[in-house]
Amino acid sequence: MSLARVANVVGLLQVFVSLSMFVAAGVAFVYGDGDALGILLAGAVTFFVGGFTYALTMFEGELTPREGFAIVTMAWTAAAAFGALPYLFTGALGSPIAAFFEAMSGFTTTGATIFAEIEVLPHGVLFWRSLTQWLGGMGIIVLVIAVLPYLGVGGMQLFKAEVPGPTPERLRPRITQTAKLLWLVYVGLTAAETVLYLLGGMSLFDAVNHSFTTLASGGFSTRDASIASFDSPYIHWVTIVFMYLAGVNFALHFRAATGRPVYFRDHEWRFYTYIVVLAALAIAVVNLTSGSYSAVEPAVRHALFQATSITTTTGFVIADYELWVPGSQMVLFALFFVGGMAGSTGGGIKTMRLLLLVKQTAIELRKHLHPKAVLLIRVGDKTVKQEVLANVTGFVILYLLLCLAGAVVLGFLGMDPMTSIAASIATVGNVGPAFGDVGATDNYGWMSDPALVVLSFFMLVGRLEIYTVLLLFHPETWKARRSFH
Amino acid sequence: MKVLVLGAGEVGFHLAKRLSEENQDVVVIESDPERADFASQQLDVLTVVGNGASLPVLEKAGISNASMLLSVTSKDEVNLIASMAAKKFGVQHVVARISNPEYYGEGSVLSQEQMGIDLMINPERECARETFDLLRSEIATDVVPFADGRVHLVGLKVKEGAPVAGKTLAELAKDLHDHHYATVAIVRDGKTHIPRSDSKIHAGDQLYLLSPTAEIEDIAPLAGYKPSRLRRVMIAGGSAEGEYLAQILDTKGIECTILDRDRRRCLELADRLPHALVLHADATDLELLEMEGVAGIDGFVAATGSDETNLLSSLLAKTAGAQKVVSLVHKFEYLRLIPRVGVDASVSPRMSTVNAILRYVRRGHVVTVAELTSTDAETIEYRVDEESAIAGKMLREVHFPKDAVIGTILRGDEIILPRGDDRVLPGDDVIVFALPAAVSEVEQLFS
Repeated sequence: MSLARVANVVGLLQVFVSLSMFVAAGVAFVYGDGDALGILLAGAVTFFVGGFTYALTMFEGELTPREGFAIVTMAWTAAAAFGALPYLFTGALGSPIAAFFEAMSGFTTTGATIFAEIEVLPHGVLFWRSLTQWLGGMGIIVLVIAVLPYLGVGGMQLFKAEVPGPTPERLRPRITQTAKLLWLVYVGLTAAETVLYLLGGMSLFDAVNHSFTTLASGGFSTRDASIASFDSPYIHWVTIVFMYLAGVNFALHFRAATGRPVYFRDHEWRFYTYIVVLAALAIAVVNLTSGSYSAVEPAVRHALFQATSITTTTGFVIADYELWVPGSQMVLFALFFVGGMAGSTGGGIKTMRLLLLVKQTAIELRKHLHPKAVLLIRVGDKTVKQEVLANVTGFVILYLLLCLAGAVVLGFLGMDPMTSIAASIATVGNVGPAFGDVGATDNYGWMSDPALVVLSFFMLVGRLEIYTVLLLFHPETWKARRSFH
Repeated sequence: MKVLVLGAGEVGFHLAKRLSEENQDVVVIESDPERADFASQQLDVLTVVGNGASLPVLEKAGISNASMLLSVTSKDEVNLIASMAAKKFGVQHVVARISNPEYYGEGSVLSQEQMGIDLMINPERECARETFDLLRSEIATDVVPFADGRVHLVGLKVKEGAPVAGKTLAELAKDLHDHHYATVAIVRDGKTHIPRSDSKIHAGDQLYLLSPTAEIEDIAPLAGYKPSRLRRVMIAGGSAEGEYLAQILDTKGIECTILDRDRRRCLELADRLPHALVLHADATDLELLEMEGVAGIDGFVAATGSDETNLLSSLLAKTAGAQKVVSLVHKFEYLRLIPRVGVDASVSPRMSTVNAILRYVRRGHVVTVAELTSTDAETIEYRVDEESAIAGKMLREVHFPKDAVIGTILRGDEIILPRGDDRVLPGDDVIVFALPAAVSEVEQLFS
């Protein structure tokens, strides 16, 4: 492992982060809430630190896989650290750890927030908050790969480490082009949602911010009451549609944009859609029959909104689902584990992995009937390789163990069982709001510093899909390769 | 007509034999001197030793004045090159045997026209198609479509106590006046008879009937079989034929189990056949066959690359209680063995190829021709035109050879069972069943 190479790339990525801070500073300047200077300062610090690191190190040779993992993990950690500076320098938050948590929650598109009151925050800080999610949604590194061909062949290592899902798709032979196309689709959808919000009477600021956090499946809002503060079914439906789209594999969107809407032929897409629709249906029916709702439209809308929001790990709220009957709550609880499709901006386990697990289970059963059978798992017309299956099984087990371990740690830190479990699952899955003391209308501001550090780590592990981060803790990663010459 | 046959393997040899018997000028090109020598001794043909894909060899064989080239070596590439060369020399009809599906259809680099090939035959696929026809009509030993599938030739063995046993054809015609069956041949003790109206059918006879496709299903009870449907098929052996058959079964929605003893081949099959159950097992592993439900299965096909294994596997399946057992046979010598050992039917990729090519060779007047497993007689479909000697005449006035019979006349949508006072008209399709000696005489009547 060449630390110089790692530092070089990480430094460069921070320069990009600083550039986005300058954009936020610009917004702050326009609205004139007095936060422009603080954000500008944060940007300057980030720019110089990142720039110097980049200038003082050299990028020579080719990236090894372990360097790839190290770069991604460190770049994201650094981004959260520098991303905390605007909160500190504008005085929005006093505690560095709380600011780090907020920034990490942003970049990882979790949407768990420290702030109890959001509407009092200056425009620049709010915009920075949403921007972190938007950058983290498609991925900072994917963005850099799209803009700078400098990472070359090693780009694929980084790309693989950052794009969610077991086997990322290539849309074009060159990774730079693939990254460009993904970002293009991402920007296009964001613009579309903004326009639709504006048509629904939202202010430009709210429209842009919510579009950023919807497409990133992030869930930060500019309002205390999240989307619920917009009392417009139109806005709710627009949000439902775009949350849903954010959870779809962006490669499918790209194909649709180039005239091949192949959604229906994609098996994972069908699986993802079934889950969302069936869960929403179950919730709506239970809520209607139990008397939580009397009218059908709001019941369906709220059920679909919450089901989509949790499945895609966005975390927007339009109804306090903790007041629903236990049946509906447990359906939502199950959805915390699902996540979006592979190649989407959603977090969680990802529907592709669940689909593969379901298929593998079915095959194990069939194997008992036909012991000599040669059974392959296929998704659509593609056969899934054995290595991928092993990887998926390992991932899901690690994921669940991590949730469990997190819950135990939070328990030690004094949280009640429900809150411990919920906070652990909601941060690993990058959802945000959950149950108990971190429920639909609560925030994470009351937590102790150790708890915030632990949860920040969980958010990062969840966003980078466990293996990337955990590899850094594997002793072999740090051992030099032995040579016998 | 001068015909060039490329390759004197079993397919080429058999084709050359057939064609020379029918008085065609046949030149056989073969690269193996020993095989060429064998062919020239056994057959009335000219042989040229050499590579069929080489220009001097083709010229020596007289490609410039040949009217037909049959490229039937076992090498696709040689067949392709020879075919492309033949078109350059202006050979009218070019037939090529191509096994690799990558060379034809959607995925091929050149279209069939560009390669100059009039008929492409994939022996394995042809064979799978035939196997499926056999499976579908469970009792039949042969099933051959004629007239675009409107009429089928069905061969079957008459069971003890069957309704037709002991009756003459005249009696039978009375019993079955609402059906349109034409009994064209009876094979008894290995000898083929063209039946007359006073011929009697015995139990144990091999019967050949021409039947309108819609009436095929009524044949089974007449010959003493219980009718049944094809729902589940097991294919022992993941050969190319087995894979093609599994594909056909898949398109018809028939449940299919296919097994092979090579694990890598199994993985390949499992990848390409999403709906079939692929088992890693030996075709002769009786315990496994029974565990996978071979007893009472509707169809069992032994399709490994080894004839001996296929025979054993078929016998095991038959003993275990499979309804209909078809065995893949490569060596022509073994074909006659099959009915004797209790296996229901056999198919051979080479025989299928020969059939398909012979059907094509007589095109013009002849539409379809079929060779059958337990008789050397042929069924030939002729298209009658104005110049045909037989056109317009009443059948009883025609001097029709004793060893041949007109089975069915197809006129527009009509299917006619011919009687003495019927006439054959231009535009009719006529299906004739003939022993080899009578073929050329029949041919003259229709040309």
